[in-house]
Amino acid sequence: MRWLIGVVLCVPLMVQAVSSQEMAPDFTLKSLEGSNLRLDEYKGQVVLINFWATWCGPCRQELPLLDRIHRRYQDAGFAVLGINVEGVDKTDEARAMISKAGVTFPVLVDEGQKISELYALEAMPTSVVVDRDGVVRYVHLGYKPGDEAKYLEVVKKLIRE
Amino acid sequence: MPRTTLIWIALLVLSLTGTVARAQTGVDRSPTPPEQPSVSFDVQMEDIKRSLVELKRDLVVLEEDLLFPASSQVAVFVAMDLGEFFALDAVTLKLNGKEVSHYLYTDKQVDALYRGGVQRLYVGNVRQGNNRLTAFFTGRGPSGRDYRRATTVEFEKTFEPIFVELKITDSTAKYQPEFVATVSP
Repeated sequence: MRWLIGVVLCVPLMVQAVSSQEMAPDFTLKSLEGSNLRLDEYKGQVVLINFWATWCGPCRQELPLLDRIHRRYQDAGFAVLGINVEGVDKTDEARAMISKAGVTFPVLVDEGQKISELYALEAMPTSVVVDRDGVVRYVHLGYKPGDEAKYLEVVKKLIRE
Repeated sequence: MPRTTLIWIALLVLSLTGTVARAQTGVDRSPTPPEQPSVSFDVQMEDIKRSLVELKRDLVVLEEDLLFPASSQVAVFVAMDLGEFFALDAVTLKLNGKEVSHYLYTDKQVDALYRGGVQRLYVGNVRQGNNRLTAFFTGRGPSGRDYRRATTVEFEKTFEPIFVELKITDSTAKYQPEFVATVSP
């Protein structure tokens, strides 16, 4: 009976996406360059995790803008981690898209979409900003021109904390 | 839904039930004890912190006993000795044919293993009797070439917890890495 109560109480929690003021779920993924990168090892830096896919038009628009923010603030303790949600089957297309966009930040491959499930993605692209302590501070679903101003506002605030 | 969260909810429900039961037992009519001198705030804070640490430790032990009882527990550890001939990238574990863990190692984690660290890769439950564990090691071998090797160990699970050590060592005689799995007890 208690098990049933526990399940009933937990059903709303099961479907909740990652939200602000929660610890960002840790993960380790392989990058397109071949190295393994772990989110927890970025503690001490502000991190923007950007989930994207090759079929996503707004993602193509957003990537160069994210790279600009990455280059500008990386010396201030900021990093962007791109995560391609399509797995190793689309690696070549992902590389081509990254190269065309001129992206310099690390791009990781979410094999089996395990991290996408962990973060309960609801839209593409999705950007999650994590502070120096590993706490999620901002989640942005989708992208339209002008949204990068909001990213800048959040990043500037967090690198000053 | 993590089991930890279910345990917390169950504990919360039980504690609330206990509180309501105590409130319904009636008024205490024992004589009022004389007033005690007030204890300093610092001492009270220290007591609370100590109680909190002890409670946290007890909860971890309870969680371990509930989730991984000794009668079915198996724990797998990874260690490295030297490591000149092999740059570890990932380890995949299969227990009785079913994949139970796939772990990617960052440079920092590999460095920690080189320096003597031991990683608890997997803790799980298995049935009693004969079991088979296979570990697949992926990385870069001698001459920087991609390297993938597997090692298999069979063990009999009794009421005691089982610990499996996966050790990566250098064989200077063969100039190759060796992968050894050891079961204890």
